Amino acid sequence: MNILGISCLYHDAAACLVKDGKVVAATEEERFTRKKHDNSFPTNAIKYCLEQGKISIEDINYVVFYEKPIMKFDRILNSHLETFPKSFWTFFKTMPSWLNEKLRLPSIIKKEIGYDGEILFVDHHLAHAASAFLVSPFKKAAILTVDGVGEWTTTAWGYGDGNKITLLKEIHFPNSLGLLYSAVTTYLGFKANNDEYKIMGLASYGKPTYLDKFEKIVDVKKDGSYQLDMDYFVYHYRLSMPSKKFIEEFGPARKPKSPIDQRHKDIAASLQTILEEILFKILNHLHKKVKCNNLCMAGGVALNSTANGKIVKNTKFKKIFVQPAASDAGGSLGAAFYVYNTILGKKRDCIMDHVFLGPEFSTDEIRHYLKRNKINFKEFKNENRLIKKTAKLILENNITAWFQGRLEWGPRALGNRSILANPCNPDMKDIVNKKVKHREEFRPFAPSILLEDQKKYFETGECLPFMQFTHLIKEKMQNKIPSVTHVNGTGRLQSVTKDQNPKYYKLIKEFKRLSKVPVVLNTSFNIKGEPIVCTPEDAYRCMMGTGIDYLIMDRFLIARKDNLRDAWDSSEISKRFAPKANVTFA
Amino acid sequence: MEKVKLFFKGFYAGFKSFGLTISTIVNFVLLMIVYFIGVGLTSLLGKTFKKRFLYLKKEDRKKSYWIKVNKKKQKLKNYRRMF
Repeated sequence: MNILGISCLYHDAAACLVKDGKVVAATEEERFTRKKHDNSFPTNAIKYCLEQGKISIEDINYVVFYEKPIMKFDRILNSHLETFPKSFWTFFKTMPSWLNEKLRLPSIIKKEIGYDGEILFVDHHLAHAASAFLVSPFKKAAILTVDGVGEWTTTAWGYGDGNKITLLKEIHFPNSLGLLYSAVTTYLGFKANNDEYKIMGLASYGKPTYLDKFEKIVDVKKDGSYQLDMDYFVYHYRLSMPSKKFIEEFGPARKPKSPIDQRHKDIAASLQTILEEILFKILNHLHKKVKCNNLCMAGGVALNSTANGKIVKNTKFKKIFVQPAASDAGGSLGAAFYVYNTILGKKRDCIMDHVFLGPEFSTDEIRHYLKRNKINFKEFKNENRLIKKTAKLILENNITAWFQGRLEWGPRALGNRSILANPCNPDMKDIVNKKVKHREEFRPFAPSILLEDQKKYFETGECLPFMQFTHLIKEKMQNKIPSVTHVNGTGRLQSVTKDQNPKYYKLIKEFKRLSKVPVVLNTSFNIKGEPIVCTPEDAYRCMMGTGIDYLIMDRFLIARKDNLRDAWDSSEISKRFAPKANVTFA
Repeated sequence: MEKVKLFFKGFYAGFKSFGLTISTIVNFVLLMIVYFIGVGLTSLLGKTFKKRFLYLKKEDRKKSYWIKVNKKKQKLKNYRRMF
């Protein structure tokens, strides 16, 4: 039984192949097209999934789409009817893609991939719920999905039991925590559907002094249900997000790339605080209703690692599973599993314990690429020697790119397409920012830590392999790993185990032997404005366009200084960076 | 030969750009008609009968904003629909 899940035409297009109840391949289209948040039909991702599954399109039993397009169109038409004639420009801008693509999905699927079989459509939030619960380690769990908007739903809760999922309550558009967060993101001069995590990082620098203003905008009931005062927003009929009234209340909006002052930091902190307050109220209500200590979460808001890290302390939930690709990309995986487990009633047989579901390249393929392009490299026949050399390079404060095995699924690089650096060097955050990432200085870098040493450094010893939870770093340890300690003493950690990623585990272990610190700084292997690298070519291009000193690709060590003829300057790309993220919700 | 190729390449690009401009104008006119006649009239008619297409007004008196749905497994044929 082969099921192909697809999510696309809004943002984060992706495909996922489920074969007899196991996920064989899952990847985002952006990794192939090199356009961040690419929303186009995921032809490349599907092609890869079929290749990985060693099947052809004729072998697919069902293609499943992650939402119901006509229900979504219904919401959009209703928005236009309610806000006529103010919504004309949005209508003009969005309608062609609806008429040409979104409402003609079956014919597009047939045209793009030659599929002539059965196509199913699963509700957006059901797909999210399935993406979290059906691959979780829990037999029974409470489920919460929170995002910008699906068809009509923006927030939903219910429970999963065995292979069944029931969603009991919802909140509908235009009331949306995701859109509230996106609106403030654009107000603070960043991009909606792309930069929300930056606001989360910025929040740690401020105080929630604007909380009372946000409380005026969001009416929250005891059960966590909420309603937005839509006088403060225009996203239901315009391409921009906050209204004039919002600007009157909070002061002038920050222009992109202008300096960030304390007011901006305090607004970000207030937004983060109100989001957390609402989430905890919803979760406490959910726990009361479902009476289960396990929680599964998905939807874009579930990627808020700061809030996630506080759930256990602020609610009665004991164990939490957040799908690694919690945003819309994960909908493809959820839709496929929903069909296999819930609709067809097959037994659950897949726990997502790693994210290495994307393309990989063999040693021969990489060697061939390096030789063909006359790239100077050194080959290590012995893996231990390669690991020893890499750990030494990191300790000597070299910025080292690590390209191994299969590409990660989801937004986080977790040790297969990562840039690694020495976390003990207090200047390393600035060095990586300046030489490679060209990003805002307030944003923290994440630590990868050996699970067995985690309790010595963090307040939690729980295995957290997907970098979705921010936790306090013990005070006495903060000065040992300064470049991965955020301003508020926290870190968005990745627990690394031997079972999950043996090579990466060995590398950190070797780094520990040399430095006495079981932690490395881990950031995604990409140039600002581009997706995580996929192929050896992407990786080499990224190294030569940035200040990465060494690239370890499979068993090959490539030094930047040995290949300077291919050097170029990626900082221009990052200056021009303007992702084509869709900011229309109407 | 190269010059001819270059000429036709430029001619094709120019014609494509012209075609895109025309289609944008036609789209604009058609969508304007649909918007002001289709959407506009329906909206005015709906509003005359106090029909609310989108809940934008605050409803503080409600005890809860949760909407009961009870979404669970349906028959396979329901998933074949795009709605």
